[in-house]
Amino acid sequence: MCKHDKSKKHLLFPLLLLLVFFPSNLSAVSAEEIIQKMDELATFETSYSTGSIQTKDRFGTKTSTFNAWSQGESDSLIEFTSTAERGQKILRTKGSLYLFYPDAEELIRLQGAALRQSMLGSDISYEDMTEEKNTLDNYKAVLEGTEAFKDTMCYVITLTATTRSVAYPVQKLWIDTENYLVWKAQYSTAQGRLLKEMEVLSTLEAGGRVIASETRIEDKMKRDSHTYMRLDSLEVNPVLDKKIFTLENLTW
Amino acid sequence: MTTKLPRLAFRNIFRNLRRSILSAVAISVSALSIVMLFGLLDGMEIDMANNLQSYYTGEVRIRNVDYEKYERYNPLHLGVDWEAIAPILMDNPSVESATARISFPANMYIGENSQVVMGVGADFSTEEAFIDFPAILKEGRLPEQGKNEMLIGSAMARELNLSIGDKVTMLTTTAARGSNAITLQVVGIATFPVGSLNTNMFWAPLDRMQYFLRMEGLSQEILVLLKDGAKESLVAQEIHDEISQSLGIETDTRSWKNLNIMYSMLRIMKVAYYFVAIFFFLLGSTVIINTTMMVIFERMREIGTLSALGMQGSELTKLFLLEGFFISVIGSGVGVIIGMIGNYYLSKVGINFTDAMSGIDLEVSSIFYPQVNILKSFFIWLYAVVISSLATFIPSRRASKIEPVEALRYV
Repeated sequence: MCKHDKSKKHLLFPLLLLLVFFPSNLSAVSAEEIIQKMDELATFETSYSTGSIQTKDRFGTKTSTFNAWSQGESDSLIEFTSTAERGQKILRTKGSLYLFYPDAEELIRLQGAALRQSMLGSDISYEDMTEEKNTLDNYKAVLEGTEAFKDTMCYVITLTATTRSVAYPVQKLWIDTENYLVWKAQYSTAQGRLLKEMEVLSTLEAGGRVIASETRIEDKMKRDSHTYMRLDSLEVNPVLDKKIFTLENLTW
Repeated sequence: MTTKLPRLAFRNIFRNLRRSILSAVAISVSALSIVMLFGLLDGMEIDMANNLQSYYTGEVRIRNVDYEKYERYNPLHLGVDWEAIAPILMDNPSVESATARISFPANMYIGENSQVVMGVGADFSTEEAFIDFPAILKEGRLPEQGKNEMLIGSAMARELNLSIGDKVTMLTTTAARGSNAITLQVVGIATFPVGSLNTNMFWAPLDRMQYFLRMEGLSQEILVLLKDGAKESLVAQEIHDEISQSLGIETDTRSWKNLNIMYSMLRIMKVAYYFVAIFFFLLGSTVIINTTMMVIFERMREIGTLSALGMQGSELTKLFLLEGFFISVIGSGVGVIIGMIGNYYLSKVGINFTDAMSGIDLEVSSIFYPQVNILKSFFIWLYAVVISSLATFIPSRRASKIEPVEALRYV
């Protein structure tokens, strides 16, 4: 009996050690919870932002400016304000993406392979724009561990697609352990070929959340090309007209 | 005896008229086939050169010096200043006319369906010298400057069920490396001579395409036609230097013969054509040789009789040689003349290969117009005569050496 008690004490000590030193947040959060939190914090009830897309490629630098409105997980509208694209709009509603051009009498609905085209010659595709904030519906998440990225501790999570309808079969994300911001992402094929890389260069705080204000995106399929996406201003939860995300509204 | 030989040979032709006619017809058909084939090949070559000059390169083509390097990226921002270059071209005494074009790929949207097509922005007033639009216009009219209108090929109209008045939206990448879309109305349907132009190309006013593609004042290329007798490569160099001196810019200004792909293609086609022609020539020659030799071997008994009557071997050879010569002169003459008349007729009405050539992407028209070439026809006639005469020489020489007794056994 006494011998048995002694062996129990031997087991208790390493267990206590584990509980003390094991990072509390790691032990508490699963990969799915991290992804859910990430999606939640990246989604606003409504938002209005202004910003720019700067693309550097073999032909030089090109900057396009835009105003953007968003609502919930899937509705967003971007209107370009720079001279070359003035008046062009991209409307994203659940599952659909429409392009409006001032000189075209009809809207263009992009679907299938056309969604893989580059948006304004940048490293961002229309498909990237249609990605909805319901990651776990399409991906299986595995927590690989934690890793410091630019002095910030991040969860490293690998997402493997469970459906064929997604843009990237495999995603590797570096997610801030504190504010769930995705600092870095690598998008690959199922065979592991890197297709695109994203990295957050600076952040801003809005609505009590940390949001990427400058992001560098590099399409690995293009040579000597990368894109900076900058948010100049972000208004969280403004009152938006419900009609703003309708096709009828797009043509005014 | 020798002076009588030609008369005797000529009379021999009529002694067995059916045999002589058969022999002459064989020679005639061979000569006719060769003349017509050469006419067709000449027509194809001229047609291909015309199509290349009219629709693709002009006689001299001017582009931005870096365009070709990045051509696969559709670098419309690497344009040439048409408004600045046009006066320089007009001052050059060797230049007949010039036109500016912008060629670009686009997605054509009809409802929810899209199709990749090629667009051409063109100034239809300056295009007159390059393309005979009124002749190929089947329905409607040409697009007008300042209007969102387009001309499409008849095959495209048929396949996409488009007719005059229909509107379609084009989406493309602009010179600003963004995207843009424009809705164009079909105002004209044309039947272009080249299949690919007919099936996937639309033509729209240059000024609207410059606006649409964000290329105000610029064009992707300038095509130049020269006055008769001007040497393309020399004028190209002249134009290049004039632009360089006046505007201080370097351009890629080249004669169409120095544009690697197009002219090389023409040259390859030419070699291919001549290979086909050589095979026909050889085929024709074997028919001529075969017919003439058969005629001689058929007449061994006659040769034996003539030898028995005292005709010398060399005289026999000359007699049959002359007979063959007369038949071939008449046969190939008739064949060549009929071939030339046929080619002349077809050069006016054309041979329509539209259905057979649908889907074949060559810069050759689907309606062929054979050419009449007097020099080549004369050469073919001469060739047929020489070949026929030589063909009689071998068996008649052999026959002349045979003993009369032996020759008389050939029955």
